[in-house]
Amino acid sequence: MRPHFDRLYRLAWRLTGSKAEAEDLFQELLIKAYGKLDDLVEIDAPASWLSRVMYNLFIDEQRRFSRRRMLTVEEGHLPGEGLSGLPGTEDPVHDNERMEKMRQLDRALSQLSDEHRQIVLLHDTEGYKLTEIQDLIGIPVGTVKSRLHRARARLREILTQTGTFF
Amino acid sequence: MNSDINDKQDQEIQALLKDYPMPEATAAFYDQALARATHEGSRRQRKLWVMTGFGSAIAAGLVLWLIGGFFLTTPDSPTATQGIPEITMTLEQPRTVNLVFASAAALETATLTVTLPDGIELAGFPGQREIAWQTSLKEGRNLLPLELIAVSPIGGEVLARLEHNDRDRTFRLHIEVS
Repeated sequence: MRPHFDRLYRLAWRLTGSKAEAEDLFQELLIKAYGKLDDLVEIDAPASWLSRVMYNLFIDEQRRFSRRRMLTVEEGHLPGEGLSGLPGTEDPVHDNERMEKMRQLDRALSQLSDEHRQIVLLHDTEGYKLTEIQDLIGIPVGTVKSRLHRARARLREILTQTGTFF
Repeated sequence: MNSDINDKQDQEIQALLKDYPMPEATAAFYDQALARATHEGSRRQRKLWVMTGFGSAIAAGLVLWLIGGFFLTTPDSPTATQGIPEITMTLEQPRTVNLVFASAAALETATLTVTLPDGIELAGFPGQREIAWQTSLKEGRNLLPLELIAVSPIGGEVLARLEHNDRDRTFRLHIEVS
C-alpha cells in the first residue's frame, strides 16, 4: 500500500481542504483497508480501489456531518492553510505576486460548490484523467466533462470579478 | 475578441491550478497512520467496533470538544490544569488544534470569536489578537481546525467564544511554550 500513500493523501487533501480532515480521512482509509488486506492482494488496481474507498468514506462522512468546516465571514473559509506548501524562488517580488494570485485562487475555489471544486482540483491540479474521475465519483464521463467546464467558467467569473487578477 | 480573452484567462488559471499547493505529508505521519491502522484495525476486527467516522477518537490532531457548551473529555483530550485543557507548543512550530463543536440542533448565524494571548498567533492572521467568524452549525459535529503558532515563549490562554442569540459559551485552552 505504501507506494500509493502520497497519491491517496493528496486526494484526501483535495477532497477535504484541510490538514486535520485530510489526515483523519487518510487514517480511516488505512483502518478500513486493514480489514481488506487479503482482498487487496487480489485486486488488479489497488490504487483505484483505495481511492474509491476513500471517496466513499468522505461522502459518507459529509452526509453524516454536513458542513463540518466552519466558514469565515469574509473569505468563506480559513484561508491559506494549503498555501504554506507553495515553494519559493530566489525572487521575492515574484514570490509575493504569485502568492497573492494563489490567495485569490484559494478564495475563488472556496466559493465553488463542493462538486465543482473537487472536479477542477482533481483534473487540473492533480492531473486525474476524466475516466479516472468517472471511476472515482461514479458519474458518466460526459457529466464529468460538463461539470469541469462549468467549474472552470465559474472560477474565471469569480476571478475576473475581483478586478485585480487579470 | 472575447473568446481570445477567455482563452488567455483560462490559460492563466490553468497554470495557477497546476501549481496550487498543498503541504506534503511527512514520512512520520505515514508511519503513525500505519501503526494506528494496524492497532485499530485489529481491535475493530476483534470487537466488531463500529466505525464512527474520521472525526473519531483516532483523529490525527489534537481534538477539543464542546457539546452545547459543556466540555467533555475524549481519548485524545489534552492534559487539564484546574479544569482548563492545556497543551505545550514549541516556539515557532505551527500546531493544529481542532475545535469540535457538537451541537444538538442546527444553529444559524452563530458567531465564533477566537481571542489569542500575546505571543500566540493564528496562521494567516499575523498580529491579530481577536478573530471572529459568523457561521452556522449543523446538527452533529462541526470541526474548526486552528493552526496556532507560538511567536514568543510567554504562552497564555486561547479563548473560543460561541454565541447564538442571547446564549454564549466560552472555551479556554491554556498554552505553554517550550
